[in-house]
Amino acid sequence: MKPARANLYLSLGCVGFALLLAFVWAPMDSGTGLIHKVRRQVSIGDALAPTLAAIMIGAGGVMVFLERRAPDQPGLTRGNLVFLLRFLAIMAVGFALMRWSGPMLVAVLNGDQDYRALRDTAPWKYIGFFIGGTGIIVTLIASTEGRLSLRAVMIAIAATLALIALYDLPFDDLLLPPNGDV
Amino acid sequence: MGVGDYIWMGILAVFQGPEAFSLFGIAVSITIVMVLAGFLLGIMVGATPGLAGPMAMAIALPILISAFGFSPDALLPVMGFLIGVMKGATVGGAVPAILFNTPGTPDAYMTTLDGHPMTRAGQAKKALKLAHVSSASGDTFSDIVLILCAPFLAVLVERYLDLPEKAALLILSLGFIASVIGNSVGKGLISMGLGLLAVYIGTGEDFYPRLSLGTQTLAQGFPVATAVLGVLILGEVFKSLEDLWYDARANKPVTEPAQSGDQRLHWADIRRIAPYIARSAVIGTAIGALPGIGSTLAATLGYASGARRHAKRRPDAVQFGKGAPEGIAATEAANSSVSGANLIPVLSLGIPGNAAAVFLILATESIGGFNPGPGVFRFTTESVNPELVAAFGLFTTMMLANAFNWTIGGVFMRVAGVMVRAPKHILLPIVLMLTLTAIYVQEARMSAIWFAIGFGILGYLMRRVGMSPLPFVIAFILGGKLEDTARQAFAATGSDPWFLFTSPVAALFMALAVGFVALSLRRHRKGPQ
Repeated sequence: MKPARANLYLSLGCVGFALLLAFVWAPMDSGTGLIHKVRRQVSIGDALAPTLAAIMIGAGGVMVFLERRAPDQPGLTRGNLVFLLRFLAIMAVGFALMRWSGPMLVAVLNGDQDYRALRDTAPWKYIGFFIGGTGIIVTLIASTEGRLSLRAVMIAIAATLALIALYDLPFDDLLLPPNGDV
Repeated sequence: MGVGDYIWMGILAVFQGPEAFSLFGIAVSITIVMVLAGFLLGIMVGATPGLAGPMAMAIALPILISAFGFSPDALLPVMGFLIGVMKGATVGGAVPAILFNTPGTPDAYMTTLDGHPMTRAGQAKKALKLAHVSSASGDTFSDIVLILCAPFLAVLVERYLDLPEKAALLILSLGFIASVIGNSVGKGLISMGLGLLAVYIGTGEDFYPRLSLGTQTLAQGFPVATAVLGVLILGEVFKSLEDLWYDARANKPVTEPAQSGDQRLHWADIRRIAPYIARSAVIGTAIGALPGIGSTLAATLGYASGARRHAKRRPDAVQFGKGAPEGIAATEAANSSVSGANLIPVLSLGIPGNAAAVFLILATESIGGFNPGPGVFRFTTESVNPELVAAFGLFTTMMLANAFNWTIGGVFMRVAGVMVRAPKHILLPIVLMLTLTAIYVQEARMSAIWFAIGFGILGYLMRRVGMSPLPFVIAFILGGKLEDTARQAFAATGSDPWFLFTSPVAALFMALAVGFVALSLRRHRKGPQ
């Protein structure tokens, strides 16, 4: 996409969003308006600050329109969006594994107990983080290298174990993901 | 309590704090150990291309908070560690720039221009020593200016600025930052507006949490860590990961030229580079004192100024860009002298000027008991102001880090050369997991991770469209304070809607804010011609 066109889309998007924020979202989703009057005392309402943020975004959008042909203005490409989708897919699968592999393994191997009761007990509390964390790291390394290698797997395992050692072993009050949610 | 008493108490707070261990019967305080650890970690991180000081600060913060807790005793060790990282990363950035023509940090780019030619000429060790002396000199000078200026500025602010002026000053700072960061004032304003919007979600004075769309998830607002780490750290990681995916050169082997000749740094060398160091230190300190203008610009201006002087005074010597030791000195003194001066707006006004300062403010907010801003420098005489003692403690940790820099920094800088071999495509996924885990252990809910990834995508998109994420982060940090100050000023002036324009000082600040934005817009629009 040409920078001038990218800037045009950015500016239109920002102006549109600013109008939506200033005239729909902020007034309809705030407890008080721009100005709030209680017992004849006037004070600043909750909608004022977001409205000023909207004005700033809108003004920025207009300025981007005015300076859309300035040099050194990059824009988004289709490749960027493809990367984002791939990346988000890796994250979604990795965190789904992190969230559910622990409870699933407990259900299969230790059926008489609930995962929640074991979420502070080794090794159960590490299962989700280990599988999900290793999965995310190894997939990202393999994506960059263009192949899955044993070295990448070993590095991912070592890194995840190091993270467990860093955050969980020395501190009783810290919970590794996903143990705060289950 | 006099000024001297406060300074002495600050020094004692560092050296007589909780004991880490005993050496030959002398107790070594934990703060000293943490400053040293942070400094060494900072050198390693700075020397690793793809990593940066703020990343290490972000990842270390939850660990430090867990280790030291939220008590007043935690402040100096935690802040000492973070200050050590900040300073170490500044020095470390020169290592790969000189040895491998790869700047460890963006502000070390100009160092490659003369540092690497010196390496190719077999003078790598000498180039590293030059960089170290210049960096340590610039850093120390900047810290001295900070120590001398921040209290005076804070006292002036406290004495002469009332609530409307303080609100106007915050608006001026935000306007200035939006104008000077990046290549487009419009994009700076958008970034700032988005940061303000993000911080206002789920907050407000009414019982209903505004902009929460009726959902419980948004009603709690966005945790600071998710927004700041997401936009600043994850956004950069995402961008770097994509660059690696498409960049086959990532696996390019690193080669080292053979070294030969005299590698020692003589007094004659130091005398030769001293004027360049002095000039760049002043440039870097002046730039660093202004919020939002980073060390990269300081390095560029220091280098350009040095190059002009060198071409004029020594036309027959090796010129800048061809392996001139003066080029390394000019760059390193300039970019290092930004770090101390950048804390002038932080400590005197509570306004962060760069990413490292953001994490220092986050640390103080997490621990509590120390609120950076003009209130810190209240020289109370009848009772002890603990914040002022802490401020002088922080100054002591900075000077301590400088002492480590002068004594052992050079040695560790040379050792840190190995870090350039750390493959970026392996480091970045690990940094990603480290950051996400750091966020989760602070918030203990998966939604925080998704918020952080969302903010990471926002940071990534901002970088891809040429929008700096720093105005977003600074607006996120200052947004709540701006609204509170404006509310108080509005109430204090009897609900005067023109409260930002009735006092001459406030009106001047507002005019300057508009002026900066208008001037920047004019400058950028002139670009194509």
